[in-house]
Amino acid sequence: MAAAAPAGSGTPREEEGPGGEAGAAQPQAPTSGPGARLSRLPLARVKALVKADPDVTLAGQEAIFVLARAAELFVETIARDAYCCAQQGKRKTLQRRDLDNAIEAVDEFAFLEGTLD
Amino acid sequence: MAERPEDLNLPNAVITRIIKEALPDGVNISKEARSAISRAASVFVLYATSCANNFAMKGKRKTLNASDVLSAMEEMEFQRFITPLKEALEAYRREQKGKKEASEQKKKDKDKKTDSEEQDRSRDEDNDEDEERIEEEQNEEDEVDN
Repeated sequence: MAAAAPAGSGTPREEEGPGGEAGAAQPQAPTSGPGARLSRLPLARVKALVKADPDVTLAGQEAIFVLARAAELFVETIARDAYCCAQQGKRKTLQRRDLDNAIEAVDEFAFLEGTLD
Repeated sequence: MAERPEDLNLPNAVITRIIKEALPDGVNISKEARSAISRAASVFVLYATSCANNFAMKGKRKTLNASDVLSAMEEMEFQRFITPLKEALEAYRREQKGKKEASEQKKKDKDKKTDSEEQDRSRDEDNDEDEERIEEEQNEEDEVDN
């Protein structure tokens, strides 16, 4: 089976618990060849989230990977949208309220309403 | 584990890095904003999982697969993610295939003396396991391999 660290995440051992951020703080060594870092989020954490859903029976490895990658894209997207709000305030630091504004303004983020408090 | 799903946060360091790379140089992010984004990402995964699971159930499957997740993206109105996700998936599949062939080569070298039929059988089993088994067992295998 997969001998190297799966999907290029920085954590070589995926069995850390939910609070195990110590492992994740390791520097993402720009290891081996092409496609070494297909996803930065550790698949184990994503898998833990998936398993938290009582309706989910099994999840294939590819599904976990796609979810991890989607979450990264989501973070990029919401950060940029929130930054637009900060720019309007001529600030160079993103604040919590920028995020709240983005969530209110962007339809796709509606699912987040009420979940971040 | 009496933790709420939303408490399963993704690593702060990684989230911060993704945010910084998405924003122009010199832009900072407050701790509260970063932590909120991290929580939002967790909520996103939970929501996407639930959506994807609906598709799997519609297809009378018990295992979430990649296309369920892609369908979920469409459902959640994140169509713009679909193309980059498909590309990433292709790359991931190539990488997995490469790793598999590498470890199979190792196995072949070790089992040179074994009956070749046995090898083919175990390879087929591995294929099934990839798709159906929960990764827990696979992760254990990973550790063993490492």
